[in-house]
Amino acid sequence: MTTTTIPTKAQPATAAVPKRRPRRERQGPAWVFLSPWVLGATVLTLLPMAVSLYLSFTDYDLFNPPRWVGLRNYVQMFTEDPRYWRSVVTTVTYVVIAVPLQLALALVVALALKSMKRGKGFYRSAFYAPSLLGASMSIALVWRAIFNDGGTVDNLFGTGGWVNKPGWALLAVALLTVWQFGAPMVIFLAGLQQIPGELYEAAAVDGAGKWRQFLSVTVPMLSPVLFFNLVLQTIQAFQVFTPAFALSAGKGGPADSTLVYTHYLYDRGFVASHMGYASAMAWVLLIVIGAVTAVLFRTSRSWVFYASEGDR
Amino acid sequence: MTALPTTVSRKPVRWGGIALHLGCLAALLVMLYPLAWLLATSLKPAVEVIASLDLLPSRLEWSNYSTALDGVNDVSIWRLLTNSLLIAGGAVLGNVISCSLAAYAFARLRFRFRGPLFAFMIATIMLPHHAVLIPQYIIFNQLGLVNTYWPLILPKFLATEAFFVFLIVQFMRGLPRELEEAARIDGCGPFRSFFQVVLPLTRPALITTAIFTFIWTWNDFFTQLIYLFDPDKFTLTLALRSFVDASSTSAFGPMFAMSVIALLPIVLFFLAFQRLLVEGMASSGLKG
Amino acid sequence: MPGHRTKGFCASAAALALCVMLAGCGGSGESVGGGKVVLRYTWWGNPDRAERTEQAVALFEKQHPNIQVQTSFSAYEAYKQKLATQAAGGDAPDVMQLDYRQIDQYATGGVLLDLAEQKAVLRTEEIDAGLLATGRLDGTQYAIPQGRGTETVAYDVEAWKASGVPLPGKSWTWSEWADTMRALAKKTGKPGATDPGWSEDSFEVWLRGQGKSLYTKDGGLGFTADDLTRWWTFTDKLRREGVVSPAEQTTQLDGSVENTPLGRGEAMSDTNWDAPASGYLALIPSGVALAPMPSGADGTPGQYFKPSMFLGVGANTGHPKEAAQLVDFLINDQEAAKLLGATRGIPVNDSVREEIEPQLKDFDKTIAAYQASLEGTLKDPPQAPPSGDNALQTTFQRDYDQVSYERMSPREAAENYVTEAKAELRS
Repeated sequence: MTTTTIPTKAQPATAAVPKRRPRRERQGPAWVFLSPWVLGATVLTLLPMAVSLYLSFTDYDLFNPPRWVGLRNYVQMFTEDPRYWRSVVTTVTYVVIAVPLQLALALVVALALKSMKRGKGFYRSAFYAPSLLGASMSIALVWRAIFNDGGTVDNLFGTGGWVNKPGWALLAVALLTVWQFGAPMVIFLAGLQQIPGELYEAAAVDGAGKWRQFLSVTVPMLSPVLFFNLVLQTIQAFQVFTPAFALSAGKGGPADSTLVYTHYLYDRGFVASHMGYASAMAWVLLIVIGAVTAVLFRTSRSWVFYASEGDR
Repeated sequence: MTALPTTVSRKPVRWGGIALHLGCLAALLVMLYPLAWLLATSLKPAVEVIASLDLLPSRLEWSNYSTALDGVNDVSIWRLLTNSLLIAGGAVLGNVISCSLAAYAFARLRFRFRGPLFAFMIATIMLPHHAVLIPQYIIFNQLGLVNTYWPLILPKFLATEAFFVFLIVQFMRGLPRELEEAARIDGCGPFRSFFQVVLPLTRPALITTAIFTFIWTWNDFFTQLIYLFDPDKFTLTLALRSFVDASSTSAFGPMFAMSVIALLPIVLFFLAFQRLLVEGMASSGLKG
Repeated sequence: MPGHRTKGFCASAAALALCVMLAGCGGSGESVGGGKVVLRYTWWGNPDRAERTEQAVALFEKQHPNIQVQTSFSAYEAYKQKLATQAAGGDAPDVMQLDYRQIDQYATGGVLLDLAEQKAVLRTEEIDAGLLATGRLDGTQYAIPQGRGTETVAYDVEAWKASGVPLPGKSWTWSEWADTMRALAKKTGKPGATDPGWSEDSFEVWLRGQGKSLYTKDGGLGFTADDLTRWWTFTDKLRREGVVSPAEQTTQLDGSVENTPLGRGEAMSDTNWDAPASGYLALIPSGVALAPMPSGADGTPGQYFKPSMFLGVGANTGHPKEAAQLVDFLINDQEAAKLLGATRGIPVNDSVREEIEPQLKDFDKTIAAYQASLEGTLKDPPQAPPSGDNALQTTFQRDYDQVSYERMSPREAAENYVTEAKAELRS
């Protein structure tokens, strides 16, 4: 509120003036701002990661001390475990279905809400409501009732139940995630609200129609947020656990069709007590997600537009 | 079709508005159908909870709610509620403070290794939770903090949820630099510039952070399960699972009733912040 | 400037206040004990079991004013995980409820105390020797069975009578069972039973009926791929005939009676453990009865009295004597038994069992009568399964899913399973 007193009169300041002297002094404040993060990243992230990397080269059952086995976990995973590969295929399929569907839905709803004059708050809350639930046991049971033989979907479309058919069950899981599109929707909305109104006015003055404005103002201005959502949802989708676990009652069935990567990791680690194997799985997942994210970042250079950097 | 509205002047716009509302309402109907199921199931008699494929209960079983309100394992529902609120509130505070601090440094300040550290921060978003669970537990156990709320809240004060750091960084990057530069010319150091210029502008992102943190912490089952043993430290989410047990008879009806009860605080929280979200946008200084 | 001071100050003050609050909450658990010995006792179960356990624990605290017991319970899956994480962190509770399948892992991992050290306060004379031995590993008693259960064929009495097929008798072989199911399916048009092929427990009963076992004494695999192929071919054929439940129903079993075909009213009977069978009563109010599990062709019984759960003491406990006293109380005390009833299975202590049997109510009575009818006819239970069994139980169901969805032949799936099982047991 106080900021309204500072108008945008910064233009006259030349960028060259404050450059030389403060460079060394600036380090201090930065580290003050960073200090909580540095502490957390070292003790609660880096250290546990190192431990789990070490464990991935061992045979560790949680109770007896870890035994060094070299690359055995990795070799076994890649060459002797058909269920591992099934879980990889399942997870990739899930990512490919769930991420685009969820983002598209979130974006369409956010755009619809933005162009709405009345009842915006109501719709926003209502569309967000499913996301308040998480994937609890209750919601899994509801989902199963709806997608079961004789359930709502069967009655409407005559497809039979989905949750008990190997070809369909994963789609039911993906729909549970898609249904909870509130988080990306809110991020889209916030992004849309941040686009300065002047840009639209300027575009309108230049004679651009609604569609033209959308293409030349909304899309580029929203691209950082779209990118953010895409990266995040992709990362989260690779790590999907709860919906798949809850919907199949912790079994990944029918016939392994919803046994996603982290569920299998959990089974190997916490059910079968092969923490070494599970750690190896976690590290492979980490590397794969890292690679996918790197690719996304690389492509982002050609389509993501940052206002502040664009100014320079 | 989309090209039409630009050429014609009045009428199609209004029709478009009505069509928009109708479309949204239809979508909502589908979206909220499972929620109706949840509500209806919480009033079903035990026999119908699982077996019945009808939406509506044959008769209303209010005792599900009275059973749920009695609490679990001698712990009252108010205690469970307080515990959940304490943890979620602490997490919100922690994330908002620590993540905005770190984000400002990444978005605006210069320091050595900024690039690599930022990449590392992004990398921690990708870290599968299960991989660090055991080592983290051992650390908290060594510190004697297991069975307290520390392991659930302390990490939030240390900005371990890189997701939110990234979120706020993205927002700050989208802010025009002119305001800060103006402030700097007026003699503001990085601290004042952060608190007086950047932080108010970042409010939408901070509110988003608060909402997500609250909801996710509220629904997080796994971490709470691992770190809390005493029933009187349990949260609503933990207590929910106590109703169902594969090795003996389950109380599905009361479980659904308690799910609905557990939903109320998040709904209220969300509705309350809804308004702030709008207000935060309006006063963000970007429009004026 | 002043603005930033205030805000920063508020934030840190709030953080500080929170710290104090948390510290207060955190510390309270330990300090309440005062001069008392504080024991942590954890178990899995439902609210009913919790209520009865709390009552029994209160009585224990009254009898031992110097001991305070902190109890905690959760549902089974959650409990298993929590206990594993705690044990891995060297923080196992003083007294813990354990499953048959956890004994081997926890004992070899050094989590459990040798209970023979506490013989003075922990009596075991009144427990059946065969049953007691299930808590023993390499001659060391790591855990004491707390209740016993056995498998059963639970069925809908009225519907079965209405079908005109004669009710099951005191014993039947697997082929007689299959014929009966066929007759039921023919008369009613619905499957006679849940497909037993998914259940490692049912397979074990079938295997023991032929004089074999799931595991050898030294923890190896006790059967071959041929045995498993025969079992799955047997169940696969019944499923194709529509005599047992189809894959779409079998795959939805999640351990709750509500999700069994019998519970959903889509089959006439179900194989299950006797204690959870009481849950059917809520779903089939007209009545549920218990028949014994089928036996081998020569009448060899495959089912056995299985310890439904154990009590163990943490190896790191600071109070082994007091912990053992609590275990002794929960297992041998008559008053405790009256409070606990049959919430943890029919008591294993012979004199306690005789004492409380007449007082049992409702379905507990049915279970006690069912167990009494089997008394003396069953063989000793096998020793606790090796730790790999934990994972294999899930693998078993998953591999059978491949059979029932006709993605693999019984032979293929069995070969897969045996390969995986051997790898699991070796490591």
